[in-house]
Amino acid sequence: MSVVAATRRRVATLDRRTVAGAFFAALGALDILGFGLGAHAGDAVFRFSVGGESAHVPDLSLPAGTTAIVLGSLSVALGALYAGWQLGRTARRVVIAAVMALFILALLCWVDAGNSPLNIVGLLQSSLTRSIPLVLGAMSGLLGERAAVINIAIEGQLLIGAFAAAVAASAAGMLWLGLISGSLAGGLIGVLLAVFAIRYLVDQIVLGVVLNVFVLGLTGYLYDRALVPYQTTLNSPGVYGTIRVPGLADIPIIGPIFFDSNVFLYITYAVLLLVQVGVFHTRWGLRVRAVGEHPVAAETVGIRVIYTRYRQLVLGGLIAGIGGAYLTIGSVGAFGKGMSSGQGYIALAAMIFGRWTPFGAVGAALLFGFASALQNILSILGAPIPSDILLMTPYLVVILVVAGLVGRVRMPAADGKPYIKS
Amino acid sequence: MTDTGGIDDRSFNASSYQGLLDAAKADPNITTAYLQSTTQSDYVPNINALVQRNCGIIVTVGFLMGDATQSAAKAHPTDHFAIVDYNYSPPLNNVLGLIFNTAQAGFLGGYLAAGMTKTGTVATFGGMKLPTVTIYMDGFYDGVQYYNQKHNKNVKVLGWNEKTQNGTFTGDFTDQTKGKEVTQTFIQQGADIIFPVAGNVGLGAAAAVKQNGNGVHMLWVDTDGCISAPQYCSIFISSVTKGIASAVKTVTLAAANNQFKGGNYVGTLANNGVGISPFHDFASKVPASLQSELNQIKQGIINGSIKVASPSQPTS
Repeated sequence: MSVVAATRRRVATLDRRTVAGAFFAALGALDILGFGLGAHAGDAVFRFSVGGESAHVPDLSLPAGTTAIVLGSLSVALGALYAGWQLGRTARRVVIAAVMALFILALLCWVDAGNSPLNIVGLLQSSLTRSIPLVLGAMSGLLGERAAVINIAIEGQLLIGAFAAAVAASAAGMLWLGLISGSLAGGLIGVLLAVFAIRYLVDQIVLGVVLNVFVLGLTGYLYDRALVPYQTTLNSPGVYGTIRVPGLADIPIIGPIFFDSNVFLYITYAVLLLVQVGVFHTRWGLRVRAVGEHPVAAETVGIRVIYTRYRQLVLGGLIAGIGGAYLTIGSVGAFGKGMSSGQGYIALAAMIFGRWTPFGAVGAALLFGFASALQNILSILGAPIPSDILLMTPYLVVILVVAGLVGRVRMPAADGKPYIKS
Repeated sequence: MTDTGGIDDRSFNASSYQGLLDAAKADPNITTAYLQSTTQSDYVPNINALVQRNCGIIVTVGFLMGDATQSAAKAHPTDHFAIVDYNYSPPLNNVLGLIFNTAQAGFLGGYLAAGMTKTGTVATFGGMKLPTVTIYMDGFYDGVQYYNQKHNKNVKVLGWNEKTQNGTFTGDFTDQTKGKEVTQTFIQQGADIIFPVAGNVGLGAAAAVKQNGNGVHMLWVDTDGCISAPQYCSIFISSVTKGIASAVKTVTLAAANNQFKGGNYVGTLANNGVGISPFHDFASKVPASLQSELNQIKQGIINGSIKVASPSQPTS
């Protein structure tokens, strides 16, 4: 019996390897036949500066067709390697990532052939800024769910953070006051979520959705009644300027992407580090995780379960509120109705795809940001792909990559279950 | 009854409501009310709610409401409706479709942009790929091509290709950060005049243009940007407008005086239903020669000597 099972399992993995290898080879063939042989005349030119850097990186000019053929051949070779050899887990992932990267490069060569230079640094810059509210939102979800309370209300926390930041910064004329108010407003939604989920045991999914609708309605109403008639005093907060990190910002390519942005990007770095270290490398984090995995056991060793859950939700709300503030005082400089536009749900997905870990969530958020930025540049360079299909790609890519790379995820054992002291 | 943008979108919903208010100002017997749709599934219940209130005329706003308005009009043949940005063929007796040949105005905008660009690259993008959006982009594209032909230049248009009817869209009319990112990418790709056709999302574009500061400007859409978004007036060369407010005002007054007639109204350059707004801060920066060329082109489009090619143009 066990022999049969073992054999069957081996056959299954062999099949899976072959299928994946064949898929990579097929992508390679698409690179060669579609992007390589179907290339327009002319070079693909990649630019690596956005202007204002001290060290200038020259443009990279590649013959589009030939490059795509070379990249495609590499992809086919990797496919064969994947199907033919039993690779370790890390090696498998490297191969998958490499095939994806080769495909994207070939695609960019094809689209840019004979076109104006494609700004790679700009592409990566907008990937990163796009992911700021997603990362902060995901941290909010993570802090809650690590203590076993599901937070669907990230969307509402972002939106109310955006609203409060715009109003406070505009009325007071001080941006930092907007930042604090945005954060506090997000925290307030965290308090509401905590009270109803923990004290009154309301179903957490339903509760989160209701809070989102509540915030949408509330901010929409206040926007109509207050922000439109008093636009100059209440909805003209201005935007944080960029801060160049001395030294680091001058590094070619890396500098302009990571070290030449406004304060929100640096806050995001800090929050990310704090959450990672806090949750996984401190006693504090160990207790939080204990509450999330086995609250009864945690209570018996003297951890205050209810208190921990309240604290986590409020902390998360404060962080998501900063993400919301980014939308107004970090980006467009005015509040607009429903401007979070579903980013809270993407943040939630990023957290889940990131297996409830900070860096995993960042990976998923960056992937989404990149796909979104890539989609923009493809449509701007006039790729012959219908715009509706292109608009789908960020979502599609996230689903595909997650299915391929992440697989099954395990949530904290007590996630979503209210804790009732017996 | 407005679309999801609401009466404060500084764009077509706002203009429609303004038309109602103008009518009420002109005729003190008119009272107005509005309902906002938060999602597309609100259209039918909202229209029904207004029908129950025995309105003299119900104005629905937006191409997306075409079907909902039609079924309401058929179910209530004695009520009067007007719909902005939609027309029916064959026309319905109790609905006036208010449509605008904005390709004509977009043509002027494109010509103006092509005449003003320093980098030789201009850009446009839309919120969603709807005929009422792409018609502007078509006109813009045509205007640039006409400039190239007349002046033997090669100004490039990013974000829209009339021949393939494919281009850049943000996917909705709410996500301003997306509008900002798209615009930043345009600027990185060398565009220095941006024409967003995306309602509120255009404010994201304006934020990107203002932050960039390096000689990048834009055209606003639907309404005069210097009035609807005055904080950005300094970057608006002009606006490509459609006269929704005056059309709504006219039909509302007609309904109040029992002179309502169903059918279709087409706003054009000839009847001032569409146009480009004054240059405001740019009045001295747009060369006089370019201004007079724009006037000639306007006359040319009106008398038919210049053809605008957009396939989205209303035919009636």
